[in-house]
Amino acid sequence: MDIDQLQQTLADLEAETTAKIAGITAIDELRHVESQTTGKSGTLGQMLGTIKDYPADQRGQVGKILNQAKGKLTGIFKQAGDRIRQAETSAEASKASTFDPTLPGVRPPLGTAHPVTLVQWQVEDVFQRLGFMIETGPEMETEYYNFEALNIPALHPARDMQDTFWMTNNMLLRTHTSPVQVRAMERHGPPLRVIAPGRCFRYETIDASHENTFHQVEGLMIDKNISIANLIAMMRLLLREVFGRDVKARLRPGYFPFVEPGFELDMSCLICDGKGCPTCKHTGWIEILPCGMVHPNVLRYGKIDPHEYTGFAFGLGLTRLAMMKYGIGDIRVLTGGDLRAIVPTPRLTGPTIKPESAGAAC
Amino acid sequence: MLISLNWIREFVDLPADLSADALAEQFTLIAAEVEGVEKIEVGAKGLVCAEITSLKPVSGTDSTHAAELNLGDKTVQTCTNAPDLSVGDRVVYATTGAHVNALGTINDTTVGGLPSAGMILPGDALGVEPAAREAIFLSPNVAPGTELPGELFDDWVIEVDNHSINHRPDLWGHYGIAREFAAIFKTKLKPYPVVSEAELTSVDLPEIPITIDDGDACPRYSGLRMTGVTGQPAPLWMQLRLGHVGIRPISCLVDLTNYIMLELGQPMHAFDGDTVTGIEVGFLKPGAKFTTLDNIERTLPDQALMILSDRKPVALAGVMGGADTEISDETRTILLESANFHPHIIRKCAAALSHRTDASARFEKSLDPAHTTLAIQRFVTLARDEFAEFALASKLSDAYPKPLESVTVTVDPAFVARFMGHPVTREQVTDILTALEFKVRRDGDNLIVDVPSFRATRDIEIEADIIEEVARYVGYNNIEPDFPEVTIRALDPNLQQRIEKRALQLLTQSFGCCEIFRYLWYDTEFLNRIKHDPGPCITLRNPAAAGLERFRQSLIPGLLSAAELNRHHLDAFRLCELGTAFPRVNNDHDQRRHIGMITALKSKKAEDQLLAELKGLVDAWSWQLVNRPATFTPADIAESRQWENSPKTAAIYIAGQDVGRIGIIPLELRRNLDEHLAAWSMAWAEIHINPLATLDEPPSKLDAIPQFPEVELDFSALVDATGHYDGVRKQIAAFGDDLLRRITFVDSYEGKSIPDGKRALTFRARIGDPSRTLTEEDLTRFRAAFEKHLTANGMELRQ
Repeated sequence: MDIDQLQQTLADLEAETTAKIAGITAIDELRHVESQTTGKSGTLGQMLGTIKDYPADQRGQVGKILNQAKGKLTGIFKQAGDRIRQAETSAEASKASTFDPTLPGVRPPLGTAHPVTLVQWQVEDVFQRLGFMIETGPEMETEYYNFEALNIPALHPARDMQDTFWMTNNMLLRTHTSPVQVRAMERHGPPLRVIAPGRCFRYETIDASHENTFHQVEGLMIDKNISIANLIAMMRLLLREVFGRDVKARLRPGYFPFVEPGFELDMSCLICDGKGCPTCKHTGWIEILPCGMVHPNVLRYGKIDPHEYTGFAFGLGLTRLAMMKYGIGDIRVLTGGDLRAIVPTPRLTGPTIKPESAGAAC
Repeated sequence: MLISLNWIREFVDLPADLSADALAEQFTLIAAEVEGVEKIEVGAKGLVCAEITSLKPVSGTDSTHAAELNLGDKTVQTCTNAPDLSVGDRVVYATTGAHVNALGTINDTTVGGLPSAGMILPGDALGVEPAAREAIFLSPNVAPGTELPGELFDDWVIEVDNHSINHRPDLWGHYGIAREFAAIFKTKLKPYPVVSEAELTSVDLPEIPITIDDGDACPRYSGLRMTGVTGQPAPLWMQLRLGHVGIRPISCLVDLTNYIMLELGQPMHAFDGDTVTGIEVGFLKPGAKFTTLDNIERTLPDQALMILSDRKPVALAGVMGGADTEISDETRTILLESANFHPHIIRKCAAALSHRTDASARFEKSLDPAHTTLAIQRFVTLARDEFAEFALASKLSDAYPKPLESVTVTVDPAFVARFMGHPVTREQVTDILTALEFKVRRDGDNLIVDVPSFRATRDIEIEADIIEEVARYVGYNNIEPDFPEVTIRALDPNLQQRIEKRALQLLTQSFGCCEIFRYLWYDTEFLNRIKHDPGPCITLRNPAAAGLERFRQSLIPGLLSAAELNRHHLDAFRLCELGTAFPRVNNDHDQRRHIGMITALKSKKAEDQLLAELKGLVDAWSWQLVNRPATFTPADIAESRQWENSPKTAAIYIAGQDVGRIGIIPLELRRNLDEHLAAWSMAWAEIHINPLATLDEPPSKLDAIPQFPEVELDFSALVDATGHYDGVRKQIAAFGDDLLRRITFVDSYEGKSIPDGKRALTFRARIGDPSRTLTEEDLTRFRAAFEKHLTANGMELRQ
């Protein structure tokens, strides 16, 4: 190729390239054309490789021409690049002008634990902070742990208080979480601090406020010199932590064969503020926390010497607590399986427009 | 139990300035829970005793009678609907212009054309609810025309929670309740008004022969024969008190035994004296028949303790008397039984007969044997004032083969204070116990406490019982709260609890599942609907209802029924439950903790997608929970489990253990569940979580960032759609190369551009060299080697 031809070719290349990139709107595409043109194996790149084919006296001139062309083309590509980037930037800006910062996001499936589980976790947190360990026991339980080891021998009238589901294999469904008391004593020995949340069963007719299946949490603390005053302090702390404020409470005698003395702890009704309403049967008080000092016989069943150690135990109705916390009026929905009754609606429905407060609450 | 405050006031002076509510609150805080306080306010004015002198039906009415009444100084006619009236009866009558709150002022009217003056009042207008529509009959001791003072009818009634006095037989009578009130208000309890025992034993009359076969079953039996009794009504005050506490007045004799039972807690039984001579107490063979006084023939259970006379059974001990020896209006002589029975025997017998009575409910609480004679003394005291010709016909007879053992407790006042966490002196302890009729004496630093017999039958046995007495009278609410000093111990963690909580938190907080609770038992009706026969299950002896006896072996049926509920108002959901299942794998006592999940989407063709997502969920959950993957293999499926009965069911393996199953809910099951669910896609998984609790934390090392860049190459291979990923995985895992860092699974694809019967699996190989940058030659060589391996294993490469 003589120099004239070379110059013509380069002029063509320049025109061709200019035409080619005019319609390009993406940087990647431009880079592709650039590498086909000025890259090592591109059109111009290959022409640079032909300099050595020219007679020695022309090589300087050819080199100069080719370098000039390369500079020009590089300029063209740079210009095109600037144009494209400019366009992209303004496109993004123009899109952004229709951006709605208030539009809700796209939510992955939103799960939730059962209301009773949520309350249980809250109670567990309180007691774990106090160094209590969380224990469990079986739902299908022996007569020994459910009754006998709790100082409730056969034919004791207290067995009436806890109508029992009996199984054909001579086991029973635990009527309370208290069997875990002796199980925990056997497992750990004294001193100990445990709570045992779990499911309990009583043979009862079901209605809006009675279930044959419900949850409790048992508490047990055994150490040297545990006193009634200690029990009272811990129970008040429990109520304050669970309800998030000081709750008026009173302690009165209660009878449970596995504690002596036994107490019922009533708290001032939160619905009516103690003035009296149907929820508290017009007494102003709600029975929430049966408790007491562990009966020496129960300590003995747990292989603990009652002369050396004393302790307290309590049982808190998690189901009742959940109903109070979440305003659940009918206990049956808790085992009913219908999510509408146990999952806050906005969690099920997605972003809620009305009622407005629903979104804020959840 | 209902308590009349009028009755209580007979034994103790209650503070006049305290309202019934305040009295009840004090009782609740110190003794036992009062569940309710009710005022009985009859507002009676102008009531008199009227004698019926004639009685004629009013024509044109069903049950109305015109009664001519003798009011002492005059005679009136009134029309009445009261049943069971006879000429000669004396009744409570409201004169014209009289008033009771329930009916207002009583005016004259006409009934069926007859003038009717005043009114024979029904029980419910007089505060005697149990005798609602009946007249209140008066004793012949009340002269016609006698004015009945209005205040007699008014009372306060408090209801004590029965559960809270189960352990306190002494509180099952008004006198015992009065004793607590006396201690609460630091006042004197009046002596129980009775004739002396000596007066009844010193009379020159025969003894009743009493034989007791078994002193454990019947520690004491006391009896007294009396004559000169009649079928007359009890005194009005007694009828009113009984009525206030829910007992229907019947006749003086019956009312007296009820009255004393409610006063002292001691049940008694009056036999017709002509039908019963001597008394034997013993067991009869089970299966024998006995007709009780409610005229029901009962088949005696095992260990039924009976009262016999002349070898004939006359009463079911402690439960109910017999029909043959029942007293009637004609009875003039009675044999009064006042006995003490073993609580367990009475409880078992009443339970076996499903016939709990007021008497058996008291006997099963362990009554004080000292009360047998005391109750008879009380009976005589009250009866002789009522029956004009009352006379004793025997000595007070008493067999007491098994005297109550006295209970003495040693109490250390310093320990009492320590146990309470509240200062208390020896003197305070002594005062409190003495007020409750304990006998206290000093022994060095200790106190020796003799427990009164009415607290010694089971209630008070040990020092802690005494502490309760002291503490409740110190006042639980006077004890200053005080945090315990603790000993720090690192107890072994409960691994099962830990894994369950974490597992549930992940599912509900990270993986979009809503937790539900279902019952432990299957609902047979539901199982029939989904055509699932679980086979032999652990069962309940006393199910909540028929069809609810079988324990669940799987959580899936419960979740399925919940899914059916939720499809009505949701288009997509994920349900989970963590609970106990009873799969009967090893034996009848198996109980395992399972996690069950159901995912559902209102779309016909999404089941593969749902299953893939659920597999991914289980895998991710497993990683988060136990730091290991979940893998899936072909499962042995139980075809009877309708949800497993699909080729799209797999076993879930974690840490090499078969821990569960996963699959889609087949169309037929969805249809059986609910026709509408045919248009849905559903997947399920069930995992036995116990084996995961004890897994060790696996070693987990982090890789350093490579010094030289690594390269990823994708390979796509066609395999038989009937083959398993798991097989391919193993073949690929056999490939080795120095440059190979890792091979991962990318995806599986069937459909467009893939030949029928084939599936495209895509893998990604990462290669690198820790000492240099890879060259083009490296890539080419590796690609060729790997492709050769795939081809050699029968896979067709896809470009």
